[in-house]
Amino acid sequence: MKTSYYQIELKAGFPSPAMDYLEERIDLNKVLIEHPLSTFIIECTGDSMISAFIPPKAKLVVDKSVTAKNGDIVVAVMNGDFTVKFLKKNDVKCWLIPGNTKYKEIEITPEMNMQIWGVVTKIIIDPKDVRKCML
Amino acid sequence: MDCNNFYCSCERVFNPKLEGRPVVVLSNNDGCAIARSEEAKQLGVVMGTPAYMIEDLLRQHNVAVFSSNYTLYGDMSDRVMKTFASFVPRLEIYSIDEAFLDLHDLPYTNLLQLGTTIRKTVQQNTGIPVTVGIAGTKTLAKMANRYAKKKHKSTGVFWAANENLTQEMLEFTAVGDIWGIGHQYSMFLKRNGFNTAADFTRAPDEWVRTNMSVVGQRMLNELRGIPAIGWEFDAPTKKVICTSRSFGKLLTRKDDIQEALCNHAAACALKLRRQKTCCNRVHVFINTNPHKTDEAQYARTINVDLASSTNNTSEIIKAAIQGFNIIFAAGYRFMKCGVIVMNLVPESQVQASIFDEADRSKNSLVMSTMDQVNQSLGKEIVRFAVQGFEKKYKLRADHLSQRYTTDINQILKIKI
Repeated sequence: MKTSYYQIELKAGFPSPAMDYLEERIDLNKVLIEHPLSTFIIECTGDSMISAFIPPKAKLVVDKSVTAKNGDIVVAVMNGDFTVKFLKKNDVKCWLIPGNTKYKEIEITPEMNMQIWGVVTKIIIDPKDVRKCML
Repeated sequence: MDCNNFYCSCERVFNPKLEGRPVVVLSNNDGCAIARSEEAKQLGVVMGTPAYMIEDLLRQHNVAVFSSNYTLYGDMSDRVMKTFASFVPRLEIYSIDEAFLDLHDLPYTNLLQLGTTIRKTVQQNTGIPVTVGIAGTKTLAKMANRYAKKKHKSTGVFWAANENLTQEMLEFTAVGDIWGIGHQYSMFLKRNGFNTAADFTRAPDEWVRTNMSVVGQRMLNELRGIPAIGWEFDAPTKKVICTSRSFGKLLTRKDDIQEALCNHAAACALKLRRQKTCCNRVHVFINTNPHKTDEAQYARTINVDLASSTNNTSEIIKAAIQGFNIIFAAGYRFMKCGVIVMNLVPESQVQASIFDEADRSKNSLVMSTMDQVNQSLGKEIVRFAVQGFEKKYKLRADHLSQRYTTDINQILKIKI
């Protein structure tokens, strides 16, 4: 339950010297989410991004308002299916690159109907799963 | 601003496979079609059609059918509205998927560009497509929006920037499609030779006032570019609050119905506390299904007045049960019950009655504690025993999508 500091009444004695220095406690929402209106949380299964520290069950903070740049980890829609990959692009071409050598790079051609759904801005993982990413 | 096929668009954000496929969203209890994607409209799915009547059509054309997921739609609406709000100093939220933005006193001269930017931003940030209509009055803006949908589909924006463009739009719009003109007035105007909105703007003031009262005059002014409908920037606090639902299946047992009723009463009390008001009258109603003409029919309502105004769940539940005990009759198959709380006053203005035995400050502490616990630990973790757990009355929602944005256990899962 939330209790506000400001309701504390000091009946007697010396006033708390911290009173004038109160600040709001750190809010992880603000730290992890820059644009709340365009940010969505999703969960992954599969190992194609394991070397990017996205093990199965990782939660991704995805911001739709961010324009994807070369090197970003993106949530893409390919022919109606979601996927998460590194985006590699130059002036003429564009690829989706997995974070696992077992999987192939995908070169995006115009007829593939690929869209960027959002850009991954934070990855939330359980420390227990870190080892899986390091193999 | 109007979100395109809003409920369907919400479903598509989290399910891109639905792109290009017809989508239909059903009302509470999976009753009728209340939202249709463009493709579903083209198949001839009519707004409000009972689901059982179009079952074959839906199956035949592989239509994706959803139960209404108001938790999801509410959150997506909030995102869209707040994104709108970031562009203008003031806006009026007109419904879950429509808003009027006040573009007065803005430094832009090219409103078409502004409209395009807002539209692109909302689409990119939330995934929801919107259409923009810009004009001098609310009625014209609504019309411009409709015109954009019909004639400027690719850009999704129409600005009635000058006389010519406004005229073009007025000529295109039938009187029946003017915001606020119902079937009756529409027939009446057509009988008198006014077919388009443009025709209507040429109607004599005197004639309109006599035949359509001040409402018609107001509409006429709006169409001529003179604002006559005021702005409501802050959502007005509600005068009455109603919570009612049809049961998932017809109920006969008194206990089952009472459980549903208590939940409605508790929902009303929570809504009262959220908007910081109290009520002093609780209206209760129950009824059978009037469409089942072969069954015995029963419908009753009752008002229960309270000694003093309250928003305390236990008092409102108590009053609802009191009323229910009086109006309930055994031997019928009930379809629906509901609670309406009335005579609302601000919490700060509640006068204590001399007959009031309740310990006000203690009760309100209990309520605020309950609300806080429920907010942090989950909806209805703490509730009254009469609200029960069985929920036999639960809504039918066989095609419900996940609450992707409000429940961590239901977020979008992606196989990568």
